[in-house]
Amino acid sequence: MFPLRRFLATTAKPLLQDVVIVGGGPAGLSLLAALKNSPTTKHLKCTLVEALKLQPVRDFGEDPPENFHNRIISLTPKSVQFMQEKSGSWDYLHQDRVKFYDNMVAYDSQDSDARIHFDASNVILDLGALSQIAAMCEVVHIQASLLQKIDALNEELPEEDQAVVIDEAKVVNIIAGNACDTIDAKSNPQTSLDWPVVTLSNGQVLQTRLLVGADGQNSPVRNYAEIESRGWSYDRFGVVGTLKLQFNDFRDIAWQRFLTTGPLAILPLPEDNATFVWSSTPELAEILVKVDEKIFPQLLNAAMTLDEVDLNYIYKMLKANPADMTVLEEIEWRTSLIPEEDLDEKFPVPISELMPGSRARFPLKFLHADTYIAPRVALVGDAAHTVHPLAGQGLNMGQTDVGLLVDALETGVDRGLDIGSTLVLEKYVATAWPNNHALMGVCDKLHKIFSTDAFPVVALRGLGLKSLNYFDVVKDIMVKAISGR
Amino acid sequence: MATRSILRSARLQCTRHISSSSVRCHDIVKLTSASADEMSHFNALASSWWDVNGPQRILHKMNFLRMDYINEMVKGHIKLNDNVVDDEDKVYIPPYSLDLLPKSIRTRIQQEQSARRDEILSQKKLKALDVGCGGGILAESLARLKYISSVKGIDLSTDVLEAAKLHQKLDPELSEKLQYELTAIEDLPKDEKYDLVTCFEMLEHVQYPAQVLSEVFDRVAVGGWVVLSTINRDPISWFTTIFMGEHLLRIVPVGTHTLEKYIDQQEIRNWVEGSPYQDQFAVVNARGCAYIPAYGWKFTSSADVGNYFMAIQRVK
Ligand SMILES: Cc1cc2nc3c(=O)[nH]c(=O)nc-3n(C[C@H](O)[C@H](O)[C@H](O)COP(=O)(O)OP(=O)(O)OC[C@H]3O[C@@H](n4cnc5c(N)ncnc54)[C@H](O)[C@@H]3O)c2cc1C
Ligand SMILES: C[S@@+](CC[C@H](N)C(=O)[O-])C[C@H]1O[C@@H](n2cnc3c(N)ncnc32)[C@H](O)[C@@H]1O
Repeated sequence: MFPLRRFLATTAKPLLQDVVIVGGGPAGLSLLAALKNSPTTKHLKCTLVEALKLQPVRDFGEDPPENFHNRIISLTPKSVQFMQEKSGSWDYLHQDRVKFYDNMVAYDSQDSDARIHFDASNVILDLGALSQIAAMCEVVHIQASLLQKIDALNEELPEEDQAVVIDEAKVVNIIAGNACDTIDAKSNPQTSLDWPVVTLSNGQVLQTRLLVGADGQNSPVRNYAEIESRGWSYDRFGVVGTLKLQFNDFRDIAWQRFLTTGPLAILPLPEDNATFVWSSTPELAEILVKVDEKIFPQLLNAAMTLDEVDLNYIYKMLKANPADMTVLEEIEWRTSLIPEEDLDEKFPVPISELMPGSRARFPLKFLHADTYIAPRVALVGDAAHTVHPLAGQGLNMGQTDVGLLVDALETGVDRGLDIGSTLVLEKYVATAWPNNHALMGVCDKLHKIFSTDAFPVVALRGLGLKSLNYFDVVKDIMVKAISGR
Repeated sequence: MATRSILRSARLQCTRHISSSSVRCHDIVKLTSASADEMSHFNALASSWWDVNGPQRILHKMNFLRMDYINEMVKGHIKLNDNVVDDEDKVYIPPYSLDLLPKSIRTRIQQEQSARRDEILSQKKLKALDVGCGGGILAESLARLKYISSVKGIDLSTDVLEAAKLHQKLDPELSEKLQYELTAIEDLPKDEKYDLVTCFEMLEHVQYPAQVLSEVFDRVAVGGWVVLSTINRDPISWFTTIFMGEHLLRIVPVGTHTLEKYIDQQEIRNWVEGSPYQDQFAVVNARGCAYIPAYGWKFTSSADVGNYFMAIQRVK
């Protein structure tokens, strides 16, 4: 009995699909929603496969918890527009958990008078709406809104056109169907589908016209397609977490301070909530994740205001004992030397609390795939590129990818082409790759300018931020990069 | 069970072998046919027809423009508010260019119009015939369109048709909508009418283009379309397609074109207007296109120079 069943399972014909998306992160779910939301592509048979359980994500959408999740990203106006017009998921976000900000202040640790203040609120967009720099939003929230949008679209579609989302199933194997790209009528009369065959951990087998890798940094789809991904590790870590401020800051400002160990950003969330991203050396990151949760808020306040000489002293104390409460007095005393009005105007509202268990550390990497396409394969999101989070671009670049891939597929459908063909996909890589490459170059350059303690560069940086020339260049780079304009 | 399936697959292979060798008889030579030396030229190309990075890449890329053109002609000439009695249900068609409207309103109107267009097309799907279908580049694309109900591709070369049929098997979506036949246009029954007859890159290869066109016209349903492409007989055509294309860039295989067979677009217009079809058929549009190295195909402003597309509609 048993062997027979196994026999049947392995010889069963694979289920044929037009698009199989591997990965239910923001990129994969956006692609599924956008394909089903487009009148041109909604008839395509689409299945998304995600290794993790998606129920917690759905639960978040139905009934969001009070505290903010620690993976928070800033959405550029371009991504917001994509969600409004293409994926159609914007309306499913709980607006009270999304925080727009229109001001950005960046300053240097060597000289807090070397600062850039960018105010977008007086820039009027062509639509007449007030302009924003970006919107802060939790990654899981974005995923939840997309799942809700997909469910809503499914309700309107005939059953055979509905999107299928399979979770808790890992893609364990991908093989080429009988590959024959060049058909030689004489020597190869026997043809069968050259579509990739995807086997899931639950035993299901799918064969697909187009396989999309939205499967993150270590993309199995990228490996299958033998696409090389090149880059380096920065020998830096990012530490993130969510915070409570002493009071609600009505100014809607994103703060960034350039420390010699790497930049530290405090970004606003609704009401008295905030989030931080601290890029630092491996040694410092090690201290940062260990520091007692009661001390940590004061450490952040110190890192935004005190001199680096003071900070280094404090780091040393905390390295010796991460729960050394005398550090609090040390910080208080050093802070008291700063004039009160400076504290009020030049620096963020003090942090009062670190949300318990919200700290996380991740290595900073730069990775860019040589191409995003192969016959019957396309890569989107982190599978295609992993970027330094300095300018908060990771997720936004993925949204742009999805927008451009959907454009290319729509054109392919209108022209009656096989959407797995490189003839269709070439347009995607031609539009997406160069822009990402340029943007990643900017992020990388920002990192190199701001994350070094090599003396001449530090000196230049201090000097530079003050000089008008440099001010404009940096402001331009930052604003363009961050707001995706 | 195992033996039976082995037997069956052996038999399948056997019949396939027999049938393919019996089909691979001599290519049919017909009045409307391409000359013998051109025929052998296409046979040689058949095997690489579908290598999208191979010798026919330029044809694959030109197919983008053809499909855009066909979509534009067919969709652009649908009367959106025919048969709509109630004014309330009519879609808004501004009496001036849409480009003058603000973007958000423009998008809304465009969406509304295209939804209506799709609705009309889904009610009356078009039956298509591709004459000189070659390896099926255009025929496959037509068959994937939602508004096309069926496509018949005909050609006189056995080998290209074989390549076409083999390639068709690579896409299950095509199995029901697309059919190939080794036949000349004049041998299709005249009462078999089509809503769309395409004839791409073929007229310049035949000895009697007018003959082909009349045979085509005889098979078009009222309201139906003939969409064709060919090349003007001018020095620029020679320079771009023969010299640049075949010799310099090597993007089209040498021997594909011969200048004296090129047909000016005005010659086709004159022929239609002086033919017995003049009352029934109207040349609706002609548009030039050119291959720009490193860019691809692009529409041009003149239909009198180089390659061009032409759309002719049967009005009565
Ligand atoms: C800790 C952390 C903090 C970050 N902070 C920021 C930030 O502050 N700002 C910012 O812009 N970006 C940040 N990023 C980056 C941002 O989260 C990513 O750019 C974004 O999530 C990429 O989305 P994605 O959908 O491409 O990939 P992912 O979110 O990585 O999703 C890939 C999905 O594929 C699934 N998968 C992988 N393999 C398989 C398989 N074999 N079978 C089935 N499923 C599979 C995974 O389970 C995963 O759900 C951060 C990333 C991390 C890890
Ligand atoms: C340059 S190819 C173009 C093929 C196809 N229409 C395309 O553009 O992709 C010309 C084709 O016309 C075919 N052909 C030539 N004369 C023909 C005729 N009288 N009837 C049918 N096909 C013909 C040839 O066999 C060849 O396949």
